[in-house]
Formats: sequence, C-alpha cells, structure tokens
Amino acid sequence: MNELTQIFTELCPGVDPECTSLVDDGEIDSLDIVSLVSEIMDAFSVVIPVEEIIPENFNSLSGMMSMIQRLS
Amino acid sequence: MSITSFAFILLVAVGAAVYYLIPQAHRWIVLLALSLLFYLSGGLRAVVYIAFTVITTYFAALLLSAQNTRSDALDKAERAIAMPAIKRKKRSVAAAVMVLNFGLLYVVKYWSFTAAFINSAFTTVLPELELLMPLGMSFYTFQSIGYIIDVYRSKKPERNILKHALFISYFPQLIQGPIGRYGALAPEFYNSEFSFDSLKDGIQLMIRGYLKKLVIADRAAVVVSAVIGNYTSYSGSVILVSMILYCVQLYCDFSGGIDIVRGVSRLYGIEMAENFKQPIFATSLADFWRRWHISLGTWMKDYLFYPLSLSKPFIRLGKFTRRKVGGRLGKIIPTALATFIIYFVIGIWHGAELKYIAFGIYNGIIISTAQLLKPTFTDTKKRLGITEDNAVFNAYRMLRTSLLVLAGRYITRSAGLYRAADMLRITLTGFKIGSLNDGTMLTLGLTSADFCIIIIGIAVLLIAEALDEYRGGSAKALDNSPAIVQWLTLMAALVVLVIFGIFRGDYIAAEFIYKQF
Repeated sequence: MNELTQIFTELCPGVDPECTSLVDDGEIDSLDIVSLVSEIMDAFSVVIPVEEIIPENFNSLSGMMSMIQRLS
Repeated sequence: MSITSFAFILLVAVGAAVYYLIPQAHRWIVLLALSLLFYLSGGLRAVVYIAFTVITTYFAALLLSAQNTRSDALDKAERAIAMPAIKRKKRSVAAAVMVLNFGLLYVVKYWSFTAAFINSAFTTVLPELELLMPLGMSFYTFQSIGYIIDVYRSKKPERNILKHALFISYFPQLIQGPIGRYGALAPEFYNSEFSFDSLKDGIQLMIRGYLKKLVIADRAAVVVSAVIGNYTSYSGSVILVSMILYCVQLYCDFSGGIDIVRGVSRLYGIEMAENFKQPIFATSLADFWRRWHISLGTWMKDYLFYPLSLSKPFIRLGKFTRRKVGGRLGKIIPTALATFIIYFVIGIWHGAELKYIAFGIYNGIIISTAQLLKPTFTDTKKRLGITEDNAVFNAYRMLRTSLLVLAGRYITRSAGLYRAADMLRITLTGFKIGSLNDGTMLTLGLTSADFCIIIIGIAVLLIAEALDEYRGGSAKALDNSPAIVQWLTLMAALVVLVIFGIFRGDYIAAEFIYKQF
C-alpha cells in the first residue's frame, strides 16, 4: 500500500490520498487515471485491461489496491 | 419533423397521453412506435439505414454474449487454454460490426470529401456520391458501437430485438444526442412512473430549451450569417461581435435542443444524460470539453482514449519515453499523444471538411501542450503564491479559456481555413469600435429591439448558469421559491416564448446546427 500511496502522491500532487470518491468528485481525471495505470502496471507487474477502468476501481487507494490484488 | 414544430409538440403530447394510459410493462412499445413515426417523417430511406444498424448490432451483441457465457463457464485451467480463441472470435465479431457501421457512416458522411480531395490531389475521377445523411446517424452509430464495446467487455446484451431497436432509435435523442449509454438509458424505458414533478420538470426544461433556441439562438443566427457570409465588408469589431454572437448561438442552439430532448424524456419519466455543464465557467480548454457535449467526450474517453492509452504500442512508447526522456515529461508524453489523437478524432466527427480537421488539431495541440507544461505551471503558481481557489486567477483562466474557444470558433464557422485566418486578421488589425454604433449593426437583419432581446436573454441565461454552477441549480432555486413565484416565472417564460419565439418575424428561422453532425 505504501508503494501505491507514493505513486499516487507523486502523480496527483495536492489530492488527498484518503479520499474515497476520487473519480466521482473529479479529484482525478482520465489523464491521471492513465498515468496511474501505467505506473501501477510497472510497479506491481500486473496487466490492467481497459474493462477495469471503472470509477469503483479508482475512487480510492483501497479500491486500486483491491484491483491490483485481484489481477495479480 | 423539427422539434420546434407544432407537429412535434402534438406527437409528444398525444404520445404522452397514450403512454400513461396503458400498463407500465407495455409503455416502451409506445416509445418505439413514436420513434418509428418520427423517423418515418424523414423518409423511408432513413429507416433502412437505422434498421441496418439495429440488426447488425443486435446479432453482433448476441454473438459476443455467447462467447462471454462460454468463458464464464470455464474454470481457471480451462480458461487459460480456451481464452485466446474466445478473444479472437470476440475481436472478429466486434471488428466486423464496427467496420460495417462506421463504414456506412464514412460512406454517407465522408466519402464525397475523400473523393474530392483525392481527385484534386491526383487528378483521378473517383465518383463523389452526394448521399443525404439520415437524421442523427453519427449519434446513433456512436451509441450502438458503445453498446457493442460494453457487451464485448462482458455487459449483458438486450435479447429482445424490438427493445434493442428502441435503445438505438429513441426519438428525442435522434436529432442531436445526447449519445446514450446502454446501462444508464435502457433501464429508464421500463421503469417510468407518472409524477407531477416529472411533468413539471419536463415542461420547465422544454420551455428553457425553446427560449434558448427560438428567442436567443435564432436571432443571433441572423447577424452571424449576414456578417460571416460577407465578412470583408465589415470592420474587425463587427466581425468580433458576430463571432461572439456565434458562440452564444451555438451554445443556445445545441444546449437548448438538448434541454428540449431531456424535457420531453422527463414527460415520459425518462432521465437522460446531461450534455452540458455550464461551459462558460470552464477554466481551461480541457475543462471546456468536459463541460461541452459531455456525452461525446465520455464516449471518446471510455471507448477510444483508454483503449488507446492502454494499448501495447502506447505502453511500449511510455516505457521508451520514461527511459529516454525521464521525469514527469517522459511519463506524460504517451498520454499527451493519445489526447491529441482524441481531439483530432473529435474534430473529424464534426464534419468532412479540412476546417474540422484543423479544429481538432488546434484543440489537440493546446490541450496536450498544457499537459506537458503542467509541472511548469504548477511550479510557477506555487512561486507566485497563487492557490486554486484564487477568484482573480480563476476569472483570468475563464477569460483565457473563452478567448481560446472563440478563436477555435473562427475555424469552424468560416467557409474555409483561409477565410478563418483572414477573419481573424481583420478582427485584430481592423478593429473600429465606432462601427458598432454608426448604424452598421442595424443593417444586419435585426432591429434594435431584437438586439435588446438578445442582450436580456444572455443576461438571464448567465444568471441561470451561475445559479447552476455555484448555487446547486437554477431549477432547484425556483423549486424552493413560493408557489406564486414559480407560477409567475413559468407564465412570464411562456409569454416571452410565445411573443418573441413563436410569433417572431419571418426573417428569423434556423435549423439546429448539430443536426448536420
């Protein structure tokens, strides 16, 4: 989780990593999501298919972590 | 049949009466019948085009779903063996249906442009087919392909072909969208309940739309056509005013049409997607496109931007730029490139002309450059002590965005790229403020009373948009007012609509702009 938080704070400076409605509240946009996905795929050696790019998976860091664990 | 015609109002009103008289389970059949009637009013050939899309996407979705069911039934070990073949089949089906439908759209919408371009470049004699594009073809093609991609991504398909036909052909959205998503729109057709609130909201939304279209947009159109059609006869200030009026016209025309469509849908208890979110308050060009024609933007994002950005070539490019360029710039280059491609495609979506391609490139360059320079902007703001909630800075950003949008409109409204550049040149070098009050403006087809109506209309619209942006919605503000205020507002709006919208001079008449797209 620490690694994910580090990636997130680096790519989305100024956005609260504790937020649980990142997509719904417009805290992160499609460009942030693509950057996050690229970094996550590299850092965690997972393949994130485009079907997984849904708000539920990116609304919070815990949602992203669950997705990573599911796809690992 | 125009949605500003009496025939349309009659169709909607009679349709609503029949709709609520029959049991809820069968109401969707009324919607399908109304859609067929509406589409038939545009000629039988239009029905053939849409029937082709309905049939091809219906069977393609069933084939895709069969493969989804097959993969779901497998255990992990079996899936590892069978998935490549299943994926291959799914890709073939999805690709075939996309080629068929986008191909048909290409032939009808873009072939003449392609043939003319090739003929002029290579002195060939390719036939220029002058096919009449059926109503809403771009909108329903994109909507149905979005549905196919959803089913490809394992969403459940519609098994009743008539219900599928309703999703593709739902009549209010055929004129200019919004581009509906199956998961959000289809359930709305089968759960409608009559309520006075929906009725009231629907009528209010329709009146708002008709006011925008008939009172403001169609008046502005008279000045815009007069000036742009003969721009060399006017000074830069008159051209600038007419281009600002064009921005007003385009917004009131398109968003007014969408208000009418959404209002009609609410009469039937159907909630349609928002297509605008106060674009005047956008603080960047990217933000503008998130607020303007939202349904096209989200379609592009979900079905083109993500698949493109996460495709193998882009992932490989990302690794390369991170290794060779490094830093944030290295990470953002592939995303910026994908963004550029998306805006290029959005430009082409608007029409088969070089000016729309230039419009796409214009937006793509500005937005992808802004992404690349974002870290520099962030550092500069930090050094200057400017925070995100700084009102003066945000006002500056809104003004800057409005000017960028205005410059882009020069490209799309002019008769060609050369003329767009020439109009911009005259605006900047031939600006004579005096020609705004020397009587020139009154030679453009409108009376001074018409100009007053436009100015008052814009002022009221800006107040409503500000309430929508900052106070939770103008409709909500009206709902919270005493009943007498609500009724008086509604009556006043109706009177304005009847006097200045319906019984206006014969010199004012215009089709919906986005209908042609």
